[in-house]
Amino acid sequence: MRFWIELQEALQIALGALRANKARGTLTTLGIIIGIVAVILTMTAANGLKSTFRQSFSAVGTDVIYVSRMPWVIMNDFFLYRNRPPMELRQVEQLEQKLRGKAIVNPSMGDQRDLKYRAETMEGVRVVGTTDRQTMVSTAQPETGRFITDFDVTYKKNVCVIGTDVRDGLFGGANPINQEMKIGRSTFRVIGVMEKQGGSFLGGPNFDRQVFVPISAYVKAFGGERHQNVNVAVKAPSQEAVADLEFEVIGEMRKIRQLRPSEPDNFSINKLDTLVGAFNNVMGVVLLVGLLITSISLFVGGVGVMNIMFVSVTERTREIGIRKAIGAKPHSILFQFLFEAAAICLLGGLVGIAIASALTAVINKMLMPASVSIPILLTAVAVSIAVGVVAGFVPAFRGARLRPVEALRYE
Amino acid sequence: MDPVSSAPQGSSASLCLRDVVKTYGADADEVKALRGVSLDIVRNEYVAIMGPSGSGKSTLMNVIGCLDVPTSGTYFLEGQPVAEMSEYQLAEIRNRRIGFVFQTFNLIPRANIFHNVELPLIYAGVAKSERRQRAEEALARVGLGARMKHKPNELSGGQRQRVAIARALVGRPSIILADEPTGNLDSKTGDEIMAVLDELHASGQTIILVTHEDYIAEHALRVIRLKDGMIESDETSQSRSMGAH
Repeated sequence: MRFWIELQEALQIALGALRANKARGTLTTLGIIIGIVAVILTMTAANGLKSTFRQSFSAVGTDVIYVSRMPWVIMNDFFLYRNRPPMELRQVEQLEQKLRGKAIVNPSMGDQRDLKYRAETMEGVRVVGTTDRQTMVSTAQPETGRFITDFDVTYKKNVCVIGTDVRDGLFGGANPINQEMKIGRSTFRVIGVMEKQGGSFLGGPNFDRQVFVPISAYVKAFGGERHQNVNVAVKAPSQEAVADLEFEVIGEMRKIRQLRPSEPDNFSINKLDTLVGAFNNVMGVVLLVGLLITSISLFVGGVGVMNIMFVSVTERTREIGIRKAIGAKPHSILFQFLFEAAAICLLGGLVGIAIASALTAVINKMLMPASVSIPILLTAVAVSIAVGVVAGFVPAFRGARLRPVEALRYE
Repeated sequence: MDPVSSAPQGSSASLCLRDVVKTYGADADEVKALRGVSLDIVRNEYVAIMGPSGSGKSTLMNVIGCLDVPTSGTYFLEGQPVAEMSEYQLAEIRNRRIGFVFQTFNLIPRANIFHNVELPLIYAGVAKSERRQRAEEALARVGLGARMKHKPNELSGGQRQRVAIARALVGRPSIILADEPTGNLDSKTGDEIMAVLDELHASGQTIILVTHEDYIAEHALRVIRLKDGMIESDETSQSRSMGAH
């Protein structure tokens, strides 16, 4: 009860001091505002990048493993992989036979091609040769029309399923179904349009700017017999079976490739987890560095608060003496000044949050999906109060320790 | 150990100093402000401490007011050994036993009158409704009721000193310690303030007055003169003994 009464008094004094020195308080607050805005924007940007990343790979299932010549994430050991033999279609067929009944196997191969429909052209669009099982290893489904069937693959039909960006780019508002377009020099009939996948991630693959064709037709039209480089998606029947399946796929591939036990794998197993893991590592470092840099501005703001608190304690030395003479204890004085510092910083934090929210809305409109989340806001509030308490402690402690006789004598 | 029983002789005294020495500085620069002061003041006494500047009266006042502790010697305030107390305990004593009235009023400029008066009660942890009642009471006793929302700088010097007296009274202290209470006032206002103090004494309050003016000291019933850090004389006047018991 008594403590509570003293706290109320300390809070009242702190707010009174802020009111009495508006201009000084505002200028001091500025440092904290800038710091808090920087911290919030860093965290929001990191969150935005993460969600963009997740969104752009949302169609890739976590229960699917990919067998390819190269790993998806190559740090600096490219020379280890460059002499690996290509993945050939006939090896994929062997793998498929071994795994029949245990997993869904879908081969695909792709390249950049130019598209043309009447006067409209699109350059460097990703064309993927695949099979009817594509829609089983990925969650992406056709929005209109149909996907490639087993029949299309068997009879090397020149049909294609296009992404929404391709539809918009080539056909505008017209219905593309059953229209004939050029992929490279070959003519393909559009049989379907895939549903929208969402934007590309920082120059990563854009799955809406993509064309699917039967893999047999792909080979027939674009060759690739010599430089076959097939990616194989293998979908496990359940999430739990992924680890066993990975083990089995490695074993079967080694048998197909006739590798001796002493030889390392000359193919790579890729999973979304690997990609996500690599991404999270990078993001972690980026976030850390970002926070480090932005906390410098917060630190500078804190130093400003500390400075102003020293001024505040000094100019109120006599008041401290009076309060002590009538019974204020050291901790009462300590709290009075800590509250003042915390109040300045909290004020700065709240204004900073408001500004950061506005900026986030702008980023959301212009750059990438970003929103200020509750944990970020709570962190910002906690950080600003903490800065105030830390910055205010030394000045407040000095005030609390003043001897009443000397403080009263101070002019 | 009961602190009262450890107080020498006059345990009836509400204030008891024995051989109090206060020195400032160290070694060669050492200044002896008090060189062994022994003093008893009992309840409802009205004492004036006088002396030229440098006689040690301010130091004695700081020791009596528990703003400072003696270098050696003992000081019992209502049986409590003040000389050995920590800063925290001293704050408690100042809050509950002593009411200060300063020459320069020492009100807190940003706080209004009411808040200035209730401040000791806040540090004592008194609840809001009781604070209000006691602060109003104290203000009424010094003849200031209606000006509670004013800031100190909106009042005259005499009024400010009345507020300071109300603040000193509000905690129901054992002694009121007035350090040159009329020093910043003209003589007429000074007389009014002294009348307030006389009245408080008449109603049973112990008052210690520090002054260098004889006509102010005449209000007191006992005059202690200091010189060079020692008591030079200690006279009790019989003429105005109506308040003493």
